[in-house]
Amino acid sequence: MSRYRIPGKGRVDHAAPVRFSFDGRSYTGLRGDTVASALLANGVHLMGRSFKYHRPRGAVTAGSEEPNALIGTSRGKGRFEPNTRATMQELRAGLVAESQNKWPGLGFDLGAVNDLAYPLFSAGFYYKTFMWPRAFWDRVYEPVIRAAAGLGRAPSEPDPDRYASRYLHADLLVVGAGPAGLAAARAAARAGLRVTLVDEHAEMGGALLSDPGVVIEGRPAWDWLAATLDELRALGVRLMCRTTAIGYYHQNMIGLCERVTDHLDSPPENAPRERLWRVRAARVVLAQGAIEKPLVFDGNDRPGVMLAGAAQTYLHRFGVLVGRRAAVVTAHDSAYFAAFDLADAGVRIAVLVDTRDAPPAALLDQARRRGIEVLAGHSVTATTGRLRIRSVRVNRVRDGQVAGGRAIACDCLLMSGGWTPSLHLFSHTKGSLIWDEAAQTYLPGETIEDCHVAGAGKGLWGYGAVLADGDAAGVAAASALGRAAAGAAPAVAHDRTGSGEALRELPSDLAPSLARAFVDFQNDVTAKDIRLAVREGMKSIEHVKRYTTTGMATDQGKLSNINGLMIAADTLGKAPPQVGLTTFRPPYTPTTFGALAGYHRGSHFELTRKTPIDPWAEEHGAVFEPVAQWRRAWYFPRPGEDMEAAVARECLATRASVGIFDASTLGKIEVAGPDAVEFMNRMYTNPWTKLAPGRTRYGLLLGEDGFIRDDGVIGRLADDLFHVTTTTGGAARVLTMMEDYLQTEWPDLRVWLTSTTEHWAVAALNGPNARKVLEPLVEGLDISADAFPHMSVAECRVAGIPARLFRLSFTGELGFEINVPARHGADLWRALMAAGAPFDICPYGTETMHVLRAEKGFIIVGQDTDGTVTPEDAGLGWAIGKAKPDFVGKRSLSRPDMVAPGRKQLVGLLTEEDDVRLEEGAQIVDDPDQPLPMRMVGHVTSSYRSATLGRSIAMALIENGHSRIGEVVHVPMPGRTHRARITGTAFYDPDGARLKL
Amino acid sequence: MQVTVEELAPVARFSLRVRDKGVAAVGKALGLTLPGRIGERADRGDLTALCLGPDEWVLTAPEDARDRIAADLAAIYARAPHSLTDISDREISLRIAGPAAATLLSIGCPRDLDRLEPGRGVRTLFDSATVVLWRDGPEAFRMDVWRSFVPHVRPLLEIGQEELAAGL
Amino acid sequence: MLLIHCPYCDETLPEAEFAYAGEAHIARPADPMATSDEEWRDFLFIRTNAKGPHYERWRHVHGCGRFFNAIRDTVSDRFLMTYKAGEARPALPAKEGAE
Repeated sequence: MSRYRIPGKGRVDHAAPVRFSFDGRSYTGLRGDTVASALLANGVHLMGRSFKYHRPRGAVTAGSEEPNALIGTSRGKGRFEPNTRATMQELRAGLVAESQNKWPGLGFDLGAVNDLAYPLFSAGFYYKTFMWPRAFWDRVYEPVIRAAAGLGRAPSEPDPDRYASRYLHADLLVVGAGPAGLAAARAAARAGLRVTLVDEHAEMGGALLSDPGVVIEGRPAWDWLAATLDELRALGVRLMCRTTAIGYYHQNMIGLCERVTDHLDSPPENAPRERLWRVRAARVVLAQGAIEKPLVFDGNDRPGVMLAGAAQTYLHRFGVLVGRRAAVVTAHDSAYFAAFDLADAGVRIAVLVDTRDAPPAALLDQARRRGIEVLAGHSVTATTGRLRIRSVRVNRVRDGQVAGGRAIACDCLLMSGGWTPSLHLFSHTKGSLIWDEAAQTYLPGETIEDCHVAGAGKGLWGYGAVLADGDAAGVAAASALGRAAAGAAPAVAHDRTGSGEALRELPSDLAPSLARAFVDFQNDVTAKDIRLAVREGMKSIEHVKRYTTTGMATDQGKLSNINGLMIAADTLGKAPPQVGLTTFRPPYTPTTFGALAGYHRGSHFELTRKTPIDPWAEEHGAVFEPVAQWRRAWYFPRPGEDMEAAVARECLATRASVGIFDASTLGKIEVAGPDAVEFMNRMYTNPWTKLAPGRTRYGLLLGEDGFIRDDGVIGRLADDLFHVTTTTGGAARVLTMMEDYLQTEWPDLRVWLTSTTEHWAVAALNGPNARKVLEPLVEGLDISADAFPHMSVAECRVAGIPARLFRLSFTGELGFEINVPARHGADLWRALMAAGAPFDICPYGTETMHVLRAEKGFIIVGQDTDGTVTPEDAGLGWAIGKAKPDFVGKRSLSRPDMVAPGRKQLVGLLTEEDDVRLEEGAQIVDDPDQPLPMRMVGHVTSSYRSATLGRSIAMALIENGHSRIGEVVHVPMPGRTHRARITGTAFYDPDGARLKL
Repeated sequence: MQVTVEELAPVARFSLRVRDKGVAAVGKALGLTLPGRIGERADRGDLTALCLGPDEWVLTAPEDARDRIAADLAAIYARAPHSLTDISDREISLRIAGPAAATLLSIGCPRDLDRLEPGRGVRTLFDSATVVLWRDGPEAFRMDVWRSFVPHVRPLLEIGQEELAAGL
Repeated sequence: MLLIHCPYCDETLPEAEFAYAGEAHIARPADPMATSDEEWRDFLFIRTNAKGPHYERWRHVHGCGRFFNAIRDTVSDRFLMTYKAGEARPALPAKEGAE
């Protein structure tokens, strides 16, 4: 048995020893321990080194507010986590834990020389010291500071664990399963509400776990707890332990992080390590209790100094004595109860120092009966001990005068500076916090959320009051949701109530400049730092915080904020509410990236859409590229080919014979109804009235601002029916825009829009032999040049599959696009490949498609246009139905800026050296010798190597480009500047002869 | 297994758009009353109509009924203009059934599924995919997913199933 | 994540199903070609940017697909009310929290 464990005591399983290691040394704890309680049971208080001064530190709390006992934990490769709170990490068999911020070891740490230099490290040290010489910043200061900064060691390997997430809906969410939360959940569940009760600890009960002597409804606290949990389960309440409410968002959306497997010896396969819950609750009760405040005095950070309530928790929950000879210093009644419980468990209470002159007589009586010496009206001014406290220096204080001190030997010092209501989540709601002068703390005020703070969170003290308040909160939630609820405030016997006073630093007879009286343990901020910051002009608590870093560590100042505020206010001579309070922000406690990412990692990092032909492409070695949400075949390399070789081959094969391309991702919208043509006339620039059924037309869509938004070929299938195609990336956007106009501007039009993007799989055949491949497969349609001319559409069967067949071309070659119901897409593709075999049919990807279209000067919206390009700018003025009275964007085309000279216009660009490929996005200048910064007249939008033309080609947007054909411009690129001549955009077959095949 | 996920065989599926007086006429041609509230469905034999929007229904029927439905509605188009678009191949239907079906869906669907009573259906989200979610029974859901999203949605459901099987 | 009441579905649903669609009650001129450059500019670009109640449009894009109007308080981020497209611009509700 460990030296500091009381046999049989606590909620741990004394029959279940658990082996673990800390800093390479093996220890034994019990099932139900935390790492901190197990180490304390073994007499180990030293658990870490502080951030700045590398001072030895031990656990100061028994909960998630712990600032000191931060450890690294691991469970094999990739499963390392830094900055885990030893007070929260449950013991599991084989747990490997290590301390942080020390070298070479925890007991002897070279970084501790910083502590000797303490007088140098004043508030704002970095700002003051690393100012000059300026050149030192990059080369010296920053690397040194970065090496020294940071807490813990970041894991370097991919995290192999799974993380999960779920949505959850509840009538009532209760955060915190202490007495108030339990009473609230019970009252609401009895009224029939869907209740979820969460608690960050391994088991529910909150303060009841540390106060087993209280009697509730006639039963000892722990019996009452068990019975209440049974009742909640029976009522269908969802009970979630190990679940931290990390953030409170709009309209009662609460983020919960559930630790699913970290406490298990060997987690089941596929179980997630953590699960993020997005809870939407009609009502919320925040029953998060209160956090005990440390006292501020010299040496208050020595291992062995801890909060009195924490010692009480270690005793009752874990059966662990935090020492054999305890000193207690308190400004609040609650520490008396801790002292009594420890004394009853056999701990010698060396002294109980009360800062108050007149503690309650009842407590003094009880202390006297236990033989505890109480020194009222005293202060603690120092502690001694290197890696563990050995003595405490106690001074009498009378009328503000501090008398000489005497040292009292102890092996632990339990302190209590009173309690701070835990209002972090309440603050997330932008709820107001009201300073309570009597309690010297902030209490919850108004919030716009349907949220209620219950129990110690609103400053109540004592189990009777807290249980009654929780019960009332549950009743209120039920009533608010229209359920009748009868309150049943539990009767309490042996209650523990009390009060206290709020202090700044404890009075001392020692020079304040030398006192290491810590306010923020984690960031090593002392009272002296805060007073100095105020004297140096930091008048707002927000400035004090940033200047001293108090409250900015990973604990967000859970222990330190109020002490820091009191000291700053005292220095300023103002009341605390005039100095303010810094803002709490989510998450409540540090949260892993894994929990936030959830399922969205690896292949599910983001949504990837795939076409019906995608499996064929994968099977045939395609290299893919992401296009909008899709993955598309980029090119189909043969063995030994790089991308350039593959694309050159695909281009030449298509121009020489026939190529096949998966165009399934193109957006498709069916526009149907008696007013379909009127709608099309209003949406697109082109005229549609005279387009005959069976014919198609290139359509251009503008925004109301006159700039190009999308384009695509549009077929008229019948008088009342259009088949609209959009760009791949524009499909959803275009449909939304059309719906917007239809629903809100022209609701009288009898026309409906339906996305058919995914109903159709589309294979595009292009090349002089396209018809020869297709013709034998077509039934029910004559696709000869005369019967089915360029820009036709018709229904037929292809390879036995019902199809919508378009004759169109985005390559300049004879082209067909065959639409078939998507389930047949792969069959169609295979049939076309087989039929094309005699013609050496060549599958090509998006890169070849881009090159072929650029050779013809066809634009890609979003590549050659950027949201500031008009049809005229793009050379597409011919697509405007000038006789139409109106269409979306028409009015904007005559705005002064749109017709002014100097607009950037789309042109071709040919480098003087054939083999130079300009970079897409490269800027263009007229005079390469002008001084920097040069005046840029445009930029390259598309640039490729054209195998067909045996040279590079490019498109560019250039100021007044249409009137500068033939002129030379310069394109500075890394290495050198290239000369290029402005041309038209059609580089290949400008007359379109090849389409007429 | 607490929950199974299976891909259902294709059916004839149409997007039906009609409003005002046309609604009754189209309903009559189909032989049922088109439900007027979003989320409600009506059935006649194998034919089902689910109201997805104020002027929008999705119709499902056996594959061999496709041509007849199209012909029946084409016959009344002149006096009851509407849009009937074949979307049979747009979506793939997944059946999600078992005691943990709602839990499995909660990994991606932000709706309160307790409020989606059996016999109703709605368009909503699963992860980042738009889906039509039908509740066919207390423990039986159907999810129509656009085809290209299935390679994302299906494996995500499988991860969720594995998680449920792990029991934590 | 907000909760939004869709006036067509008559249900209060998670924001994830909705998309914001700009300020409400900015009607496209019946004859754009008859507007002056200044009028057209104002229609295109000039918006209220209210601090407090703001009339704005949303679309139940992953639901019934309808555009509708809402009054949202840009300070508290609460919806004061939602109503169907085409309905007249309502007066501000007397009290917050109607929805």
